Amino acid sequence: MKSFTTQMAWRNVWRNPRRSVLTMASVAFAGLILIFMLSWQFGSYDTMINSAVSIHTGHLQVQAEGYHDKRRIGQVVERPDAVAKVVERTKGVDTYTTRASAFSLVSSEDRTYAALVVGIDPEREPAVSTLESLVRKGSFLAPDDGYQALIGRLLARNLKVDVGDEIVLLGQGRDGSIAASAVRVKGVFESGQDEFDRSTVQIPMAAFQEVYAMRGGVHELVVVCESLDSVPAVKQRLASTLPGVEKGLVVLDWKELMPGLVQSIQMDLISGFIFYVILILVVAFSILNTFLMAIFERKKEFGVLLALGSTPGRISRMILAECGVMTGLGIAAGVVLGAAVTLYFEAHGIAFSGAEEILRQFGLPERMYPELSLLSATVGAGVVLLITSFAVIYPALRVLRLRPVDAISTIQ
Amino acid sequence: METQSIVSLSDVTKTYRQGRVQITALDGVSLEVPQGDFLALAGPSGSGKTTLLNLIGGLDRADSGSIRLNGNDLGAMSESELAGMRLEQVGFVFQSYNLIPVLSAEENVEYVMLLQGVAARERREKARAILDDVGLEGMYDRRPAELSGGQQQRVAVARAVVSGPSIVLADEPTANLDSATGRALMDMMRSMNEAKGVTFVFSTHDRMVMDYAGRLIRIRDGRVAGDERREGEAES
Amino acid sequence: MHTLMAWRNIWRNPRRTLVILTAVVIGVWSMIFLGALMRGLTNQYLEIGISTLTGHIQVHHQDFRSDPVIQNRIDRPGRVAEALEPLLPPGSHWTERIRVNAIANTARHAQGVTLVGIDPEREARVSFIGGAVKEGNYLEPDDPYGILVGKALAEDFETRLDRRVVLMSLGVDGKVASRAFRIRGIFRAETEATEKQYMFVTMAAARDMLGLERGVTEAAVLLPSHELTGKTAEALERRLPTPPLAVQTWRDLLPLVRVTIELYDTFIFLWFLVVFIAMAFGIVNTLLMAVFERVREFGLLKALGMRPRGIVQGVLTESFFLLLLGTAAGNALGVLSVNLLAESGIDLSALAGRLAEVGMRRVGYPQLQAGGFRLANVVVFVLGIVVSLYPAVKAARFTPVEALAHT
Repeated sequence: MKSFTTQMAWRNVWRNPRRSVLTMASVAFAGLILIFMLSWQFGSYDTMINSAVSIHTGHLQVQAEGYHDKRRIGQVVERPDAVAKVVERTKGVDTYTTRASAFSLVSSEDRTYAALVVGIDPEREPAVSTLESLVRKGSFLAPDDGYQALIGRLLARNLKVDVGDEIVLLGQGRDGSIAASAVRVKGVFESGQDEFDRSTVQIPMAAFQEVYAMRGGVHELVVVCESLDSVPAVKQRLASTLPGVEKGLVVLDWKELMPGLVQSIQMDLISGFIFYVILILVVAFSILNTFLMAIFERKKEFGVLLALGSTPGRISRMILAECGVMTGLGIAAGVVLGAAVTLYFEAHGIAFSGAEEILRQFGLPERMYPELSLLSATVGAGVVLLITSFAVIYPALRVLRLRPVDAISTIQ
Repeated sequence: METQSIVSLSDVTKTYRQGRVQITALDGVSLEVPQGDFLALAGPSGSGKTTLLNLIGGLDRADSGSIRLNGNDLGAMSESELAGMRLEQVGFVFQSYNLIPVLSAEENVEYVMLLQGVAARERREKARAILDDVGLEGMYDRRPAELSGGQQQRVAVARAVVSGPSIVLADEPTANLDSATGRALMDMMRSMNEAKGVTFVFSTHDRMVMDYAGRLIRIRDGRVAGDERREGEAES
Repeated sequence: MHTLMAWRNIWRNPRRTLVILTAVVIGVWSMIFLGALMRGLTNQYLEIGISTLTGHIQVHHQDFRSDPVIQNRIDRPGRVAEALEPLLPPGSHWTERIRVNAIANTARHAQGVTLVGIDPEREARVSFIGGAVKEGNYLEPDDPYGILVGKALAEDFETRLDRRVVLMSLGVDGKVASRAFRIRGIFRAETEATEKQYMFVTMAAARDMLGLERGVTEAAVLLPSHELTGKTAEALERRLPTPPLAVQTWRDLLPLVRVTIELYDTFIFLWFLVVFIAMAFGIVNTLLMAVFERVREFGLLKALGMRPRGIVQGVLTESFFLLLLGTAAGNALGVLSVNLLAESGIDLSALAGRLAEVGMRRVGYPQLQAGGFRLANVVVFVLGIVVSLYPAVKAARFTPVEALAHT
């Protein structure tokens, strides 16, 4: 019985191949655009998050409570080694490093600028961040480097210094004393993010602790998890084990560390959805006519069916099946085409000529790659299905109101 | 020899509203159709023949008066009861647009049995048998578009009788056929009437068709203007 | 006559016409409304950028941008004034500034900031600071020790009105110069970054601190409209000794804003195309239905002697009316919704609380712009007629015999 109705519906779809194909094509078009765009959005978010995580924050950070807001030099993790041991043993943690930072004046022979001096662990840092790969001139720090520094490209330009030159750091130590030291520029890095390149100096942690009288403390213990998905679980585990090692510590994840990033992603997602909904609404009305015509030009046929003893409910189900087949095929084609287009660009990338500047500031490469995922494909298909099904339901409901005599009266 | 009436109408009226004009399609029609009749409703177009057929078939409802089919009052039935009644007890043949275009000849005939819940194999056998009866052997798989007008009407008749209805209602079944084809169709319907005892009511304004009728009711302005039983057969 | 026929034809099936019109109306509305909203956002972005000490045109010493120190200054600002003043279109304002990097210190905090020495009266007409002081007062023209700090910075520094801030910067002599200021006012800006970056003192105070007799680091010009920028900058360039001076427009000074606007423009255009394609499927399908229903009629018209061209024209006229009605209603709705929201704006903070961090306002004010308006209508109309050619040609191809045989 079912198969009979389905079969009839299938044949009805192909009674007017041109119309059906156009209808399916418009659904497919919406599907294609959505899948591509969603893959694009999700892909760029991943790139943004990953690059921000790998340049700046890591997945998680252990800090003294309040440090994230106030950034006072005295808000330290007192026993980094003990904390590190706990972190290392925690399931889901890939690696970690320690950092400390202090706002300082950085002077060259004839220029002085304000900058953030960051103490890093030369051995551990390369596994956590991309800093090492950003070094454009000179070389990265080594564990026994002592008083040597990496410096951002713009800061180097402003200070008029190059690799081998000496700069003087002047700040305030943990104990309130004046912290001053000369360091030699060992390398110049360039992240493309002007703010970062203009205002950062990295020195080895040992030197930092000495200059700023840190008494063995650090400001951040930066943790990289095995994957982005494992972050919440690791965070929870750390939050429960850390108080046993040192009081007054908090674990912050990348979302808390970079609220701006999360919000720009949300903003982008939501505005994207507004565009998609409007697009699909246009498509829904475009195809509604096909579905309505499928009814109004076949009133006579429905009259015969009713006279034969069929019920409006049965006819309505047939219409539902017909429109459903068209939408379904359209969406299927959209998924296939969308996936194909996405995969093509996933392999070749899309270059934004002229926009490299803006992309760099967000830590994005100038060639962007969409990323086809189960999520982007299903969300895309799902949204199209949801909105177009309104266009399917309306004609099916119209048929329910069909009275035999109205249908039949068109026969003679 | 008096048999039970399959259809019985008493004082049925039906008016339509067309724009601002009230049109009285049927004006106090009373009528009995006994089992086995081969009845022609004759009259000019607009006389109310089609309305009468629609009411008997339960496609439309009367404004007043009562219509009984096999003793059941159609006015008291719900829409879905009417649909069930049409399925089990009434067969329809229309002037044109008779067949479902996406179904083959055999599937068109099967469709009614499908609604009745007949098993697939039995459907197939019965459909083929009856298509053979109406002279369409070997054309089971043709779609309506691949059949001539006469052949289409034969399929329609086959479909109308296959469900074993008490009555077959045919609205101007030959109107779109040439006279030779029309005669052949009438011959076939007549033989079904005689061989299987199926009751036929058809409307027409074609003298040739009237000549086939065993009973001729003339309708004029929504009233019964004449009712004669005839023994005459068509001279072919 | 043919126009009348086309008009009546589209109303033969009002339901179908209304459905496809709805699709066109939604499409056109979305083009206009979303176009205006995005234009509004980019314009705000631009306005904020321009009012945050950029202006439309700036004059610097040619080395100042790559090495922003007091040594790279405009030594004789009088020459800039001479060159500039005759050129300025009415409604323009301009001012001079000393802008240097500095370190701000309080007892407990220190941070790198940009110290801006301003002429308070003239500055107020050029940049945001004139209306931005929310606590305390704006600077008096010759206040030697007053300073304006941003709200976010004041919070970071845990300081308030009348407290002291010490500023250190490189003086003219190449040595670190410092001076203590008293907070006269606390200002708010569109972004926290701005509040944390800038501190304002009077020109006299800045000169005194840095050991400067005369001279400024920049002259900034605010024009009555963005469009005048290029022309004025060119004229100015011809009248100034360049080098050692350099003239830059906001397009050079705010590359991110420029690129963002260009990106948005491209995006809007692509969006128009995508919506149009979605609409086009519906338009073509609807016209095809209308055409195939009337095969007999076209046969008849041909039998009566109408040329294929006439039939094509007839169908295109129907499409023209559909598009006309659709775009008219879409435009009307678009203008209406933009006007409704142009005053109050659309609160985007629900979407993202800290939009401010990326330099955009929390409230979007849609702005109609002739360009976007024209583009939307041209896209829909021209391409709409183009895709309608398919059903039109289809209709013209029916031969009278097959058309009349069609039931």
